[in-house]
Amino acid sequence: MRKRSGFLLVALILSIALTVPSVLRAQSTNIDCKGAQKGDTVSMLYQWSGQEETRLNQILKPLADACGIAFKPESTRDQALLDTRVQAGTPPDVAFWTLAAAARYQDKLKTMDSLGANKAAYADFFVQNGTVNGKWLALPVKADIKTIIWYSPAVFKAKGYAVPKTWDELNTLVEKMVANKDVPWSMGFESGDATGWTGSDFIQDIMLVQQGPQYVNDIIAGKVAYNDAGVKNAYQTYGKWAKDPKYTVGGAQGTLSTAFLDAVYKPFMDPPQAMMVKQSGFAGGEIQKKFPDLKYGADYDFFPVPGAKGLQGGADLMLSFSDKPAVKALVTYLASPVGAVNWAKSGFDVTPNKAAVGSYTDPGLVKKAEALANTSGFTYDIGDTIPGGFGKAEWTAIVNFVNGKDLDTELAAVAKVQAEVLGVKPGGAATMAATAAK
Amino acid sequence: MAATPAIRPKRVRPVSEVPNIMKQGRFTPWMYLGPALFVMILFIVYPALNTLYLSFRNINGTDWATQACVAGEACWGPLENYRYALTSPIMVTSFINNLKWIFIMVPGCVLGGLLIATLANRVQYESLAKSIIFLPQAISFVGAGVIWKFIYDYGSGGPVQIGLLNALLVSLGGQPVSWMTEPQVNTVALIIVGVWMTTGFCMTILSAAIKNVPADLLEAASVDGANAWVAFWNITVPVILPTLTVVTTTMVINVLKIFDIVYIMTGGNYGTEVIANRMYQEQYGAFNTGRAAAIAVVLIVIIIPAMILNIRRFRAEEAMR
Repeated sequence: MRKRSGFLLVALILSIALTVPSVLRAQSTNIDCKGAQKGDTVSMLYQWSGQEETRLNQILKPLADACGIAFKPESTRDQALLDTRVQAGTPPDVAFWTLAAAARYQDKLKTMDSLGANKAAYADFFVQNGTVNGKWLALPVKADIKTIIWYSPAVFKAKGYAVPKTWDELNTLVEKMVANKDVPWSMGFESGDATGWTGSDFIQDIMLVQQGPQYVNDIIAGKVAYNDAGVKNAYQTYGKWAKDPKYTVGGAQGTLSTAFLDAVYKPFMDPPQAMMVKQSGFAGGEIQKKFPDLKYGADYDFFPVPGAKGLQGGADLMLSFSDKPAVKALVTYLASPVGAVNWAKSGFDVTPNKAAVGSYTDPGLVKKAEALANTSGFTYDIGDTIPGGFGKAEWTAIVNFVNGKDLDTELAAVAKVQAEVLGVKPGGAATMAATAAK
Repeated sequence: MAATPAIRPKRVRPVSEVPNIMKQGRFTPWMYLGPALFVMILFIVYPALNTLYLSFRNINGTDWATQACVAGEACWGPLENYRYALTSPIMVTSFINNLKWIFIMVPGCVLGGLLIATLANRVQYESLAKSIIFLPQAISFVGAGVIWKFIYDYGSGGPVQIGLLNALLVSLGGQPVSWMTEPQVNTVALIIVGVWMTTGFCMTILSAAIKNVPADLLEAASVDGANAWVAFWNITVPVILPTLTVVTTTMVINVLKIFDIVYIMTGGNYGTEVIANRMYQEQYGAFNTGRAAAIAVVLIVIIIPAMILNIRRFRAEEAMR
């Protein structure tokens, strides 16, 4: 008897194994291989690791199975690696990198139209963002919104705090928390080579409240110098909180030396060490990972930065140095409805591909995707968008400002880099035309 | 096989009869040198010259550096990148910090190494003691940076300090210190990591030198009534002086190039910038090839005197043997 049941089990496994390929084949009818042959490879460079990498693999698996493409990924956060490869003439087929890289390598990149990407799948601002000198070079693959504040609804309820609707309400709430001996903010800059980026995110959100999205876009275009009064105002608003132990955990030194992920955890510890943390959408996943018992919606949730006109967000961009069939298949897949749905199902944040709406399962992502779909104004991270050393200069200024250096000097240094990179004289007027005429 | 070869009478060869294999044509030395020269030129001479050239060029090497000049501001013409490399505030900070590194780390590791080598020379468990001191040498600078980042960790506002140093401070009733961001404190904190890493290297070399001090000299001194202290200063130190100089200059060169510890632990933020990290940031953070090349040239120029001293001393030491 025992033997026979063993045989049945084997037969069962065999029959399942035999039906799996046909199921895959059925799925693959929606995937266009663009002439890619079995055994073709695509080398990829990206900064993701761990769970992010697993999710990306999950998204790419149907394509790999349908077309027989093998993906050869490499994960690094080292700026130097991509640059060295490109200079040496051996770039990866595709790189998931920043817009600054798209601008820097614009002559070596293939346009997304030529690779078969469907422009209509993306909102206009995403396509515009990836367009350099009239060529669409960067495919947005993963979007995140930054203009949100994470908090614990349970703690807010217990302490009698309400989610603010306007910037004034937020200010009042912060002061009320201080009066109650609660620390309102958790802030953390430390992020290795990129230390300071959480500060630049926060300051840009404050600009969206005080000045609006046009102002931010003018900075990116070089029409407004980085040491303009509006920028200074935003820094001062931020500095009042970021440098004072009454407003943020550990004051200036806490802000500077706390790792950005540790800052995300603090409001959700027991007892909470802070009431709120301003961090992008990815924070939700990190909170869940760190505190598996907490429930989204009850123990952690987010609200938009009150009073912000438009959203600040960013997209991870895919750049392609190759136009071989396997790369075309990859681009076409990611820009197609089936790619969008697979992305949404994987829970790997939000894809800018419109066809994904309705396929998200995680409630946090559903809310985020809705916010993204409904926003009218959208601005990109200033530091990620202006090429050259601008981003680094911006972070350095923020770090130095919080560490007690003179704000005017720091902002003037950033404005100088902004002018150098964008070909704009400090003071504002664009002189690109004048230089060209010379 | 068993037959013994005939014993030939020895005779002295006249000079004219030097065997053919020893005769050298004019090109033979070049043939011997060839492979090494080829590698040197390809990987050292050519890149060095190219770096020098790029240091006079603009951000991406498409024009002379003069192009970066802004009307109404100071301009050094084609040497514009050197104006940045020598006078910009961040580079001045780097120079000052590199000096701090030299004046604290070099004596720290040379004197520390000398002390341990001398003391270990007198105990039974010498090899064990030396192994422990040498151990950090087996760790990469990056690994050491990560380890010490934990030691210096500062838990803001939290009830628990996971950083060893702050945990100690708090348990003794003190206030935790943010070691990596506090100006002045942070550079010294980084230098301590450097000393911890390199003391083992200095110790090993100096220990070998100490063991080479002739025993009869030391015996003669003790017969004459010199105590250990006097014998150390009047016999051991003079004898090992050439080695001491080589170790010191080698450390100066290493310290001038210091990069990994700073890059890993502070990224050059909070006023801890050093020359080599600035060079990296200009190249891969700002993609400014011209400035990075100029900083590289400045760094080479600073290192050259230390290298000349080092090689001279090394030759003198060889000649003594």
